[in-house]
Order: sequence, then C-alpha cells, then structure tokens
Amino acid sequence: MSKILPGTKTTRMELLALKNRMALAERGHKLLREKRDSLIMEFFNAIAEIKDAREKVNATLKDAYSALTQAKMIMGPSRVVEFAYASKMRADLTISTRSTMGVRVPVLSVDQENPALPYSLPDSSAKLDLMSSKFRDALRTITRLAEIESSVKRLALEIERTKRRVSALETVVIPRLDATVRFVKLALEEREREDFYRIKMVKERLRQKVPNS
Amino acid sequence: MVSDKIAVIGDRDTVIGFRMVGVSEGSMPKSPEETRRKLLEYFRNPRMGLILITERLASTVEDTIIELSQAPVPVILLIPDRLGSTGTHETVLKELIRRAVGVEINV
Repeated sequence: MSKILPGTKTTRMELLALKNRMALAERGHKLLREKRDSLIMEFFNAIAEIKDAREKVNATLKDAYSALTQAKMIMGPSRVVEFAYASKMRADLTISTRSTMGVRVPVLSVDQENPALPYSLPDSSAKLDLMSSKFRDALRTITRLAEIESSVKRLALEIERTKRRVSALETVVIPRLDATVRFVKLALEEREREDFYRIKMVKERLRQKVPNS
Repeated sequence: MVSDKIAVIGDRDTVIGFRMVGVSEGSMPKSPEETRRKLLEYFRNPRMGLILITERLASTVEDTIIELSQAPVPVILLIPDRLGSTGTHETVLKELIRRAVGVEINV
C-alpha cells in the first residue's frame, strides 16, 4: 500500500491540485519512457559502428607497426628514434560536444599538420615515409574509434539515469499520488454523506416540533 | 576550442611510431605501478584530451582504467601493440556497459 502524502487537506481544492499533479507526473512518465527508448536505439546504432571502427584501428595499426619494423631494419632502430623525435609533424586534437536528446556526446577530430619536409630527406628512407603515413592513418582511425566509444559510454550512463527516473515515477510518485487522491475523495464523500444525514436529522426534528405541517 | 593533447602509454615501438606523427606525450612504463602512475598523471592534466594505452599494459591496471573511464574527458582508448590485439578492450567496454544498462552486450 502506498503511503499517502502527509499533511493533505481533504478539500475539493486539494483534490483538484492533486489531480493536476497526477496528470503532470503521468505526462512526464510518458515522455521519459519515450526518451529512454530513443536513447536505447541510438545506443545500439553506436554499438554497431564500434565493431567496424575497432577493426579499422586494428588493421591500420598492424600496417603501421610492420612499416615501423621495416624502417628499423633498414635504418637501424636508433636512427628511427632520432627521426621520430625530430619530426615536425603535429597532431592537434579538438574535442567538442554535440547534443543528442539532451546527452552531451563528444566529437573528436585530429588536425594533422604534415609539413612538406618533416625530416631531412636524404638521411631517411622510403620506409620512413611509409611508416609516417601509416601512423597518420592509424591516428585518424583511432580518433574516430575514441569518439564512438565515448558516445557509447555517455549514452549508456544516460540510459541508466533515465531508467531510474522512469522507475521512480512508476513505483513511487504515481502510486503515492493515486493513493492520496483516493484518500481525499473518500474523505469528501464521507463528509457529504454525513452532511446529507445531518440535514435529514434536522428536517426530522423540525417535523416533530411542528407535527401538523 | 582549445586544442587538446594526446598521450600514448605503450612499448617502445608504439611510443616511437606515434611520436613520429605528432603525439608528443608518451611513456613506456615497466611495471603496473608505473603504468598506474603515468595514467593518473596524464589523467590529471587538464589539457589532455585522449590517452592511448596498449591492451597489454591496460590489462595490468584494468581496475584503474575502468574507474577513470567514468569521466567523459580525457578519453581513454585501448590499442593493440605490434603483437596484435588481446581483446582486453572488449572486456573494459563490456564492463562499463554492464554497469550502466545492467545487461551484457557483446561488443
């Protein structure tokens, strides 16, 4: 049995107020359910994309690592390290957010600066170029994956929050309001009946006082 | 939008490869404690937007990764190292999803 809201006056005005609150709660409940369902749909869409993005990352990284190994074999590992540290390439990450159904979902983009001569050409080899380009590709696919994974996480959290609110409305707020409405209705009806009975009693007594009316 | 930094935690090849294309922050920790320390250091940096960590290293500090992944920024991403993927990324993601929506989803 749901607890009746404490301190409710059993008046008609109170009943009206309660009915309004109830309508509001039910509308909110419906909206939240819809929100939950849309979020779940977006969530599953994102999950499908993740698999694809993850495979791309694995593939590009595999190529990148193998190019790196080849460069090390040709130029020697320490030369590769030197070039890597001296490289003038830059990767600037930009994170912004967009809103899907009230959920702030991140947007990641990486701006890769590739100056015409990131390292001294005659000392390096074609393998180094290959390695650079492969790692640049890898970084791009990685950024995309990071974006999608992050969205999935945000959506999952928001779904959980929405589910909790739906549940709270269903199991606590609405039943409580419902019980309180019924309580007030009952009290009002009881009072009407009492009043009705009292009026009857008064009429009876009046009739007895004036027997010939 | 202010530009954010990327950091990579991995082995020699990983750090070098990414260093070549502009990922300036990198570390090659030798123990789980060092890994955890580096992770927290990068995490606390307000300019850090993305942290890449190899799956192999991530599996040694899985609990820390799951904890830190609750925050929206910086994004923590598990990547394979030159020996290939170990599937750890799946475990971390599944766990996060399970905590949020309460059901086990495959990938």
